[in-house]
Amino acid sequence: MNGFTAAVSRVRHLPRDARDTLFHLAVIGWTVLPHLLHLPAWCAAMVGSVLAWRGRLAWTGGPLPSRWLVSGLLVLAAVLTIWRERALLGKEAGVTMLVVLLALKTLELRARRDALVVFFLGFFLVLTHFLYSQSLGTGLWMLVALWGLLTALVLAHMPVGRPALSRASGVAARATALGLPVMVVLFVLFPRIGPLWGLPQDAVGRTGLSGSMLLGGVAQLANDDSVALRVRFFGPPPRPEQMYFRGPVLSTFDGREWTRLVPSVPAAQRPRAQFVLDGEPLRYEMTVEPSRLPLLPLLEATPDRDGATPSLPGYLLTLRPDAQWQTDRPLGERLRFEAQAWLQHRHGPFEPVPGLRDLVDLPAGFNPRTMEWAAALRARPEYANADAPTLVQAVLRHIRDGGFTYTLEPGTYGRNAVDEFWLDRKLGFCEHFAAAFVVVMRTMDVPTRIVTGYQGSDSEPQDGYYIVRQSHAHAWAEYWVQGRGWIRVDPTAAVAPDRVQRGRNLQPAPGLVAGAFRNIDPALAAQFRGHWETLNNRWNQWVLNYSRARQFSLLEQLGFEQPTWQDLAKLLIAVLSLASLAGAAWAWWDRRRQDPWQRLHHRVQQRLAGVGVAVRPHDAPRARAARVRAALGDRGQALADLLDTLDRQRYGSATAAPPRTWWRAFAAAARALVTDGGT
Amino acid sequence: MFARRTLREHVEHWWQSRLPASDTWALGQRNIYILPTRAGVAFALTLLVMLLASINYQLNLGYALTFLLAGAGLVSMHLTHGTLRGLTLHLRPASAVFAGDAAVLEVVLHNPGRQRHGLALRFHDRGGSGQSFVWCDVPAGGHETVHVSLVPAHRGWHNVPMLVVETVFPFGLFRAWTLWRPAARVLAWPRPEQPAPPLPAAGASAGEESELANAAGSELDGVRPWRRGDSMRQVAWKKVARSGELVSRETTASRQKELWLTWAAAAAGHGDSEHRLSRLAAWVQAAHQAGLACGLRLPGAELAPGLGDAHRRTALDRLAQWS
Repeated sequence: MNGFTAAVSRVRHLPRDARDTLFHLAVIGWTVLPHLLHLPAWCAAMVGSVLAWRGRLAWTGGPLPSRWLVSGLLVLAAVLTIWRERALLGKEAGVTMLVVLLALKTLELRARRDALVVFFLGFFLVLTHFLYSQSLGTGLWMLVALWGLLTALVLAHMPVGRPALSRASGVAARATALGLPVMVVLFVLFPRIGPLWGLPQDAVGRTGLSGSMLLGGVAQLANDDSVALRVRFFGPPPRPEQMYFRGPVLSTFDGREWTRLVPSVPAAQRPRAQFVLDGEPLRYEMTVEPSRLPLLPLLEATPDRDGATPSLPGYLLTLRPDAQWQTDRPLGERLRFEAQAWLQHRHGPFEPVPGLRDLVDLPAGFNPRTMEWAAALRARPEYANADAPTLVQAVLRHIRDGGFTYTLEPGTYGRNAVDEFWLDRKLGFCEHFAAAFVVVMRTMDVPTRIVTGYQGSDSEPQDGYYIVRQSHAHAWAEYWVQGRGWIRVDPTAAVAPDRVQRGRNLQPAPGLVAGAFRNIDPALAAQFRGHWETLNNRWNQWVLNYSRARQFSLLEQLGFEQPTWQDLAKLLIAVLSLASLAGAAWAWWDRRRQDPWQRLHHRVQQRLAGVGVAVRPHDAPRARAARVRAALGDRGQALADLLDTLDRQRYGSATAAPPRTWWRAFAAAARALVTDGGT
Repeated sequence: MFARRTLREHVEHWWQSRLPASDTWALGQRNIYILPTRAGVAFALTLLVMLLASINYQLNLGYALTFLLAGAGLVSMHLTHGTLRGLTLHLRPASAVFAGDAAVLEVVLHNPGRQRHGLALRFHDRGGSGQSFVWCDVPAGGHETVHVSLVPAHRGWHNVPMLVVETVFPFGLFRAWTLWRPAARVLAWPRPEQPAPPLPAAGASAGEESELANAAGSELDGVRPWRRGDSMRQVAWKKVARSGELVSRETTASRQKELWLTWAAAAAGHGDSEHRLSRLAAWVQAAHQAGLACGLRLPGAELAPGLGDAHRRTALDRLAQWS
């Protein structure tokens, strides 16, 4: 305890330089900390020890290390980065180097210029955090970091004495708060233009819908609790087992990997997606996180007809023949739009078309035992002439009763993965079931394909929005029947109905802390999570989701028709010009502004000149009273008395009447004098 | 090069001459100048890079951060300007010094508004980057006194050079400054010769020589009421204790040894008038320290013998202004 008090008092009485350096280091540590969680371990170790070392030097007042040592560490960091990332540029490598540079720069904080370099690097470092996360939590953390950096910047410009930290942070907060209107105007009106040049590869996010599927790939997503999309329904929400968000359709299997079909027929002969829609449409609003994939996972089935198709300014939307919506470029921003879906639907082609036979192809030499099993099933007398739906029911029955287990950790499968899964281990999750189902059906000559996407959502809507996470990624299947078209079938539902009917997503084992929290009070944990999600959703809707489309709709509300980004630029320039004009007007007013006392003094002089008494500008009211008496005698008595009163108010201890009241009396007396003299 | 320099000199001369000379300088819109510093330019470049990154990675929070910093930077321009705006500077009259010694000028900064930080004062025409700033803060509604020193190289009147008051508070992105031409002048006395030859022998004045003869043998010192300029040693403390009135001893030295420091006497060795003046200055100092009444005889000017600090200053002033 004593040691602690001693340390506190030591901090209080540290020399100014040491205190500022320690504060500076704390700010840098705070700014760097979130990066250390995902940067390589050597980087975290180096940054941590450099900061600690610098802190110790500040505490003990030791000399700074030589430039050679600092340069050596920098070279070491560069070598390690190149060795690990194979580059010095690019996101990960760039952030690593930036963090190391910032930490090393603290070892040579000699002049003011060094400090400024640290600040500017620090501002940029704050920005790099948003490459990884733009959540509310990150935003708040970085706001604190920014405040700290600005406070340190202010401290660096207070050279006298030992200014209190609170004073410097107050100045920083005041400057930032006063700058808020500028920020809001720029944020709202600065035209959101697309990327200026190609994004580096590593900026592409993780997602389950990358257009190909390896067995085991979706399992990684089970750990990814981040939000994929949010959806709000105008009308009764669909049941969880109706919530299928359609992603890439995978029709080609090379024995290992499922990929999209490379059509064997020319584009002109390929049919368009055909829909038969029943019942009432369901209108919904969807917010899609930037997936950096060129597709939109829309609710099944969202057709390409007026009113149903979402409109996305800046993107070219097309409906592929396999009923999947794709965009002309990757989604680099959060998008919000409205669309309509028909939950009861069928989609074509309804008659055989060229290319349909591609969908019964299987690679030779893979999964022979499964194919034998399927052929044996087909050969059974009861299925000799069975149609496709009957066969599907038979296979689903086998899945239900065949001893299959739905698990996220089925282990790894070998070359004939489907054989091992279907006949030996029987452990798997959606993609295993879907893949095996397709292999079996294709062996039985039924055109079948895998559809990837999202299924279900968080069970309770937050703020009206159903949240679909990456962990809701799913794979299901479709089979084709002549006259009825493609029919969805979800083999996973046969073994794990919970997964589909309640939309319960893939749940990995909870971490230690989260698990403990949940065990202590599950209700409180759920409630807390709910509030947090609501807040987060608002944040997403109002801050992160602010896109070009929102800007244009704002312009439309302001009366622009068919707004373009040039209109935005014009509006921005107009607002900034108006603000500058207001500033100039204030400057003009401020320049003319005088001390109220001086102004009064001047007006008194003018008024006295009006009644024929010349006084000098520097005469005190007392002296002016004397002149009035000398010039006007008794007639000026009232004026002179008033001037004496003013003198006492100004220089004596008399309580001051409001200047306005005094002036009114004085002006009245002067007027009376003029009319009196006139008559 | 030459032409540019003269042009610059012209411009500076014109600029300085249009500034009114005054010992009181109220800072307002008219006389505060503001420009971005090098750090401000670097800050703008940083913001530009951040904006590019935000555009390319479509980071809405990146936009928010960039614009927040831009807003704070713009506001800092206003705050920097506001650090000077409203201040009133006042230069206290400076006392004379010997040439080569530092004359300390007292500048008082009156602040009617909120607290000001990081104000720096310096002389305008001290070239080079090693200009020494005097830093100060001014409390809210109060005032602060700052000392700047000026070393006059030679005797005579010196104009106080133009002063620069500047600040980069709070963020160092902008520098606001004002140029102030004080009306005050500083008088520099001739630098006393070092080492100086001994004082010339005191010659008794003609009228007093007979009195001296009459009083010969009597060592009695008279007393007279204390006058300004009498040194402590001259005070007759015993009499003061008895009578309660401050009286000074009228010594024979002070009464009778009148010392005339003349232009001719200072000529030994050098004919140069500046040397003579600095020798005379040294003698005035020496005579003052010895408590001797001394008078000055310069070509075209004469100062009757006298005692005390005021007399010493008058004598030195005469020497400084002699031409």
